[in-house]
Amino acid sequence: MMLLPLVLVLDALGGGDLALRLQRRDPQALAELYDRYGRLAFSLILRVVRDAATAEDLVQETFLRVWNRAQGFDAERGALGPWLLAVARNRAIDYLRATGGRERHAFDLEQTDHPALYTDMERDLLTSDSARRVKAAMAKLPSQQREVIELAYFEGLSQSEMAERMGQPIGTVKTWVRAALKRLRDDLGVAVAA
Amino acid sequence: MNCDELRDEYELYTLGLADEPERAEIRAHLGRQCAVCTAGVRQARQITAVLGYAAPEASPSPQLRKRILASVGAEPRGFQWAPVWAVAAVLAVFAAVYFGVSERRAVEEVAHLRAEAASQGAELARLNEALAILNGPETLEVSFGEGKPQPPRGRVFVNSARGVLLLASNLSPAPSGKAYEMWVIPKGGKPVPAGLFQSAPDGTALHIQPGAIDVSATGAVAVTLENEAGAPQPTSQPLIVAALAKPA
Repeated sequence: MMLLPLVLVLDALGGGDLALRLQRRDPQALAELYDRYGRLAFSLILRVVRDAATAEDLVQETFLRVWNRAQGFDAERGALGPWLLAVARNRAIDYLRATGGRERHAFDLEQTDHPALYTDMERDLLTSDSARRVKAAMAKLPSQQREVIELAYFEGLSQSEMAERMGQPIGTVKTWVRAALKRLRDDLGVAVAA
Repeated sequence: MNCDELRDEYELYTLGLADEPERAEIRAHLGRQCAVCTAGVRQARQITAVLGYAAPEASPSPQLRKRILASVGAEPRGFQWAPVWAVAAVLAVFAAVYFGVSERRAVEEVAHLRAEAASQGAELARLNEALAILNGPETLEVSFGEGKPQPPRGRVFVNSARGVLLLASNLSPAPSGKAYEMWVIPKGGKPVPAGLFQSAPDGTALHIQPGAIDVSATGAVAVTLENEAGAPQPTSQPLIVAALAKPA
């Protein structure tokens, strides 16, 4: 009984032609995609919507959207994980806006999760090492800078919406955002350098 | 605006925070295939992508995987043994009656099939646990045995919430009455027993010690050969040492 699990585990470690198999509508490829990124997508969405049942519905929507739009993905040069996370984030923020009665701000989320945007990225962008670096980089930020990044990333707030939420002048918020992004670029830029 | 003026706007753009006119300018640069802005925005998009890891780790219910696969018309492969064995058990009863086999024999057959099902279920649960450790974004991975002439080789995966997974090859089956014992060794502390296991006839092994572990306080994971009942402390030289932290 030892051999069967080992074969499956080693298979799961390999990269392979997942995107091509998704494009060929192989349901097992979707299962593998879920096993790789399901937990991360769920964690991200749960952080946004803060309700497990809603988060599971949105994870399902995310994977179906990727399944249905895989034909537009560049199987050779594309990065499936980052694309899937962008879809997950957008599903969650869309839900938040719809239920909160907020309008989409001028930036159109649809344009951030088009599969063609996720080409020529690092192949191993989403690794445990990246996770550690991101958590460390976020922990190093001063609290206001961390808050604005979280409000932007997890709640999709514009800078003026953040200013209103935090009761701060817009200029102050913009300064925090730029300072935070510069620190993140410095800390994470090497990790994700193309 | 030129590319230099847009340099600090790329992350704002990919996060959805860029104001006008910078946002329109970046779009225009991307639209005309500007190499500088295309590379800059790609880099920024990579930073935006990894920010997903800033979310606290959470696990969906096991049913979600089935739901998603069912919604594309697929049954999850390999994790649906129970119905198969249930049907097999029923068929065994019918076959026993049909061929005039005694009731006792049929009951034995059902018991055997149930035991098989339980064994398969346990093995699959173990595999699921292994995959959960492998898939954990915070899982620490350490190789061992590289560059040695005839070593056991493999990798150790340590996840603070789920435990330790050991994958090894070139680990000869233990002699009769012996077993391999894994140890988690705290920094500056005594080895703590982390379960007994056997390797397969081809020398491969998969062993899991489930449970939370303080990764930062752990110096190494090791394996020794012990009596099959196990030992509270190692009694032989380690065959495997995977150092999680570099020696000070």
